[in-house]
Amino acid sequence: MRGPARIARGLLTDAQRPLRFRFDGRDLEGLAGDTLASALLANGQQLIGRSFKYHRPRGVVTAGAGEPCGLVDLLGAAGREPNQLATTLPLRDGLVAESQNRWPSLAFDVFALNDRLSRLLPAGFYYKTFMSPAWAWERLYEPLIRRAAGLGRLEAVVGDHADPAETVHDHGDVLVVGAGVAGLAAAQQLGSCGLRVLLADQDVALGAGPLLEPRWDAWRAATLASLARLPNVRSLASTTVLGAYGHGVFGALETLSAEESRRFGGLRERLRIIRVRRVILASGAAERLIAFPGNDVPGVMLAGAALAYLRRYGVAVGRQPAFFVNNDEAYEALFALAAAGIRSPGVVDPRTESWAMTRARALGIEMHAGAVVSAVGGRCAVRTVTVADLGGAHRATLPADCLLMSGGHTPLIALATQLGAPGQWQEAIAAFTAALAPATGRVARAAHGVFGWAAAARDGAAAARAVAAELGLDAEPLSALCMPADAETTPLAAIWEVRAPGKAFVDLQNDVTAADVRLACREGYEHLEHMKRYTTHGMATDQGRTGGLTGAAVLAAARAVPVSAVGALKPRPFAQPIPFAALAGGEVREHYRPKRRLPLHDWHETAGASFVSAGLWLRPLVYSRTPGWEAVLEEARAVRSAVGITDVSTLGKIDVQGPDAARLLDFVYANTFSTLAIGRARYGIMLREDGLLFDDGTTTRLGPDHFLVTTTTANAGPVLEHLEFHLQSVWRQLDVLLTDVTDQWAQFALAGPRSREVLAAVIPGLDLSNEGFPFMAAAAADIAGVPGRVFRISFSGELAYEIAVPAVHALTAWLAILAAGHSLGIRPYGLDALNLLRIEKGHVTGAELNGNTTADDLGMRRMLKPRGDFIGRALAGRAGLVAPDRLQLVGVRAIDSAQRLRNGTQLVAPADRTRSLGYITSSSPSVEHPGWVGLALVAGGRARIGGRLVGLAPAHGETTELEIVSAHHVDPENTRVRA
Amino acid sequence: MLRIRCPWCGERDEVEFRYRGDATKLRPAGDADLAAFAAYLYERDNPLGWHVEWWLHVAGCRQLLKLVRHTLSHEIHAVLAPSDEVSLPTAEARR
Amino acid sequence: MSAPDARPTAGATDGVAISLCRTDVTELAALRNRAAELEAIAARRGLRLPPNGHVVTTADLVALAVRPQRWLLLSAPAAPGAAAATWQALCADTAAAVDLSSGITALHLAGPSARDALARGCRLDLAAESFPPGRAAATMMAQVSTILAALPSGILILTPASTARHLREWLVATARPFGLAPPADD
Ligand SMILES: [Zn+2]
Repeated sequence: MRGPARIARGLLTDAQRPLRFRFDGRDLEGLAGDTLASALLANGQQLIGRSFKYHRPRGVVTAGAGEPCGLVDLLGAAGREPNQLATTLPLRDGLVAESQNRWPSLAFDVFALNDRLSRLLPAGFYYKTFMSPAWAWERLYEPLIRRAAGLGRLEAVVGDHADPAETVHDHGDVLVVGAGVAGLAAAQQLGSCGLRVLLADQDVALGAGPLLEPRWDAWRAATLASLARLPNVRSLASTTVLGAYGHGVFGALETLSAEESRRFGGLRERLRIIRVRRVILASGAAERLIAFPGNDVPGVMLAGAALAYLRRYGVAVGRQPAFFVNNDEAYEALFALAAAGIRSPGVVDPRTESWAMTRARALGIEMHAGAVVSAVGGRCAVRTVTVADLGGAHRATLPADCLLMSGGHTPLIALATQLGAPGQWQEAIAAFTAALAPATGRVARAAHGVFGWAAAARDGAAAARAVAAELGLDAEPLSALCMPADAETTPLAAIWEVRAPGKAFVDLQNDVTAADVRLACREGYEHLEHMKRYTTHGMATDQGRTGGLTGAAVLAAARAVPVSAVGALKPRPFAQPIPFAALAGGEVREHYRPKRRLPLHDWHETAGASFVSAGLWLRPLVYSRTPGWEAVLEEARAVRSAVGITDVSTLGKIDVQGPDAARLLDFVYANTFSTLAIGRARYGIMLREDGLLFDDGTTTRLGPDHFLVTTTTANAGPVLEHLEFHLQSVWRQLDVLLTDVTDQWAQFALAGPRSREVLAAVIPGLDLSNEGFPFMAAAAADIAGVPGRVFRISFSGELAYEIAVPAVHALTAWLAILAAGHSLGIRPYGLDALNLLRIEKGHVTGAELNGNTTADDLGMRRMLKPRGDFIGRALAGRAGLVAPDRLQLVGVRAIDSAQRLRNGTQLVAPADRTRSLGYITSSSPSVEHPGWVGLALVAGGRARIGGRLVGLAPAHGETTELEIVSAHHVDPENTRVRA
Repeated sequence: MLRIRCPWCGERDEVEFRYRGDATKLRPAGDADLAAFAAYLYERDNPLGWHVEWWLHVAGCRQLLKLVRHTLSHEIHAVLAPSDEVSLPTAEARR
Repeated sequence: MSAPDARPTAGATDGVAISLCRTDVTELAALRNRAAELEAIAARRGLRLPPNGHVVTTADLVALAVRPQRWLLLSAPAAPGAAAATWQALCADTAAAVDLSSGITALHLAGPSARDALARGCRLDLAAESFPPGRAAATMMAQVSTILAALPSGILILTPASTARHLREWLVATARPFGLAPPADD
């Protein structure tokens, strides 16, 4: 039987498959199909942890996902995982778990002193006590509180997370949440009309509700069999719907079975994003606790949980179960335990008479009608239960080893609430229900106020027919399977709290008592949501499923208003804790974000390149894996003295065609393109509508109505979107076609005084003389036999060309150029050398086009066309953008050339080092000047050329004397590019 | 999460679209003055209720759509082409 | 170009088989109000351009539309730019024909579990009844812009060339639990 408390065969456990596990160092045995909680209870282990604030001993309270107390640390190969729910955690062989929040041991806990000092730890205690002095929070209070409070322990996970997860996108017509009788009946009805149905339930078994009632076994089996025959119904067990996000979108967390976990490489969880047209919420109800003194002693649990442990796992939660209940449904546990030979020492019910009480009396069970439990004897386990009458007078003391309570059932309406449905108070069940708009779906079963199995099945089917009708289908009622009739029941008598000496908890996980709620109310936190935040009631991982409404009712009593006037807590997603790994899904490690690779990526790698991430692109930084600037300087020297080649395929490229192509470009560029001759390129700048610089690049006219726009690497996407947006909104009348050809063309810059010779060798047919192919010329040409394009443009400031070929032929062209340049000393150069060269030349990139600069700031004011409309024209002229003291682009060099420059260094006047006049945007060691060169944005910078400033980099402890120079550190007359 | 029924692509997740702002603001004529452009760019209403707005379907058809969306309920009343006339729902038309 | 069998790989009888298709790609984009003319030009060449969201296969072409008035034509690899040049000559004032043979990479996913594997990264409803052969869609998958086309042989996936390796690595990792036949190319 595996465990002394295992008294019967469980419906989920396999007596032939024992499993070993370890809890707090004790070796124990359970069965396949057990949860950790059922296996612990089977071994008679009721004490499972210490509470959050008072460190009181706690045991398991529920048999499911709403469990407030049964949280444990799981010790696995990957380390310690805190806050695992023992009531849902499937037992597996070799599982090792530890109780939480106890020090040094579960039975003797030093911090339990908090409990004795509890008069000093009222609600809001942390707010009130640890307020001042301010310094003490970080140094004293927070470490202290963290040690004393908190649940579980976090350990740094080193290396990969051991448990990968994945995200799956699901679609269907209807999502049915909850696979009790109502959910099963709804899915069957919907499925038989041909609708695509997703049926999700957090339990490992579908139909877990009727599973508890033997008379319903036949109905459950027949319904599951008929669902299995419907290919359009997908049943998802172990799948908790975590949140409703509107527009038919739901998030759900699936816990994989051991078998499927193996198939998916150890995957434990799967996040499902579900999109449907309608939803049926049949998620049932949660049994609620009653607040009475000692309602947290290990062994006090919900009556329904005792029934579940008996039926599902064959475990008796005690040998002497006393009951404190106020509703007939809760008596099912009493009857089931009695049938299994477990006799109750007595039942306490505040009602005077009911159908169930009559049936209990007939079994010879001692009834205490019109009574309440006023105290529980025992600290680490239940010993006795004190019975008092409704007036508080002592009536009896029952010997007991557990106390099974039920304060009624609170419909689970969290998802409906998230979908905007207001809670509606139902006096008959003393709880809130909810209704959905027809366009969203339907609520069935408990959340609809329906109790009783047969009634629930009928309600589920009716909801399904209504939804089918909404979706335009006429659903016939299915010939009803034989359903056992519901027993006659008497309505509950609402009871929320028993006022007697001692702590009566409304939130067992966050240790909130009924007295705390009253204190919050007295101190002005009368609104439910304020009380919640002040006391932390309902803010724990269980979201107050067992005691949330009880706390609200205590508040209502304190305010002397009905519960309906206080309302219910609004649980937001997620309905239960979800591991971050599940949210990340498959987008981790190498799949964390896409990498864009150059057509020649493999060549660069073989050539010894170090790569750098530039946006999503991987670009060669330098063809060396040795740290330092030497290789960069060598690459740059090759360009300045002979010839070099670099891969600039990352540049954004947009093919622009159509009769209005030139007009569009005149609108989006600040300078003019309609006047550009065919076969010529022009540098252009784009502004944002607010007048600031957006992007720059070279645009070439390939034909009368055909242009090729290039953008910076970073802005390739945004520029295309900018053009598309304006073309479809502001300038809808223009006939222009835009096509992104960024990936189509590999592009190389061939730069240096010997570049013409190299190019001539690979393009024999083209006249490359200054007359035949002047600066800013462009032409179609075959490069080493590959049809491509050649542009005479320069970023380095040298005589230079850019060569574009279709990307799949990139290697042919690249190798041909390298071969042709071999005797001239050609070198490939990376992003660092490219940056060095452009800084020396004073060309700008994203560091200067940083969203704060204007054309004038960067010395390009004359490019703005004087006439005609263009984006940014009007606002570029506003006062703030033309002020003479704006930051302007200049060059900087250190007076002491041994000193390095840094991007971000603040520039100040020698006489006043407290006021920043600007900062260095780009810097690099130079091959043309000794030491470093930099570009900077300096207030009124152009007027300061020739002067000196001081650079401060306090994070590096550096002070640098700088001279302000022209941004064009080399060839300011621009003769080289025309050589 | 919004699900937007693109007239070209069908119903798609919000992440496929880029929000491009208030679609009732029309760019002033090219020769308009600074004040007109400042109003176009910076003066935006923040209504509780129906809002007409641009969404560009960047991950799909790359078409610009004009949505009529309720800023509280997120209900999408209409998905229109850029040149379509907008008629806001009347009070009765709202659920 | 008959994409599905361009580079057949092992084990389409297993869960999923991934293959790389060598194909030329030409984008045809009609100028304002010229779509009908373009369709007529194509029809004279024996190609019925499909409506938006659809794909058609002829003896030597796969044609698909995921943007209004635009079509992607997939054809057997030929001289660089030749296919686009031929189309541009045919529809000079009607449309732009842009060569994207290098810019787009085509993958083909076959096998009974192909759609299940894709649901790990694709937000579209890829159930056979919602996305039957003949349908095409532009979307994102594994954070990468992607065009999907359902063919009788499986799903054709088009992606920008620079992200193709990322997408293929993701597909291989994702399809593994479904019984992936290892890619035969590279
Ligand atoms: Zn679209």
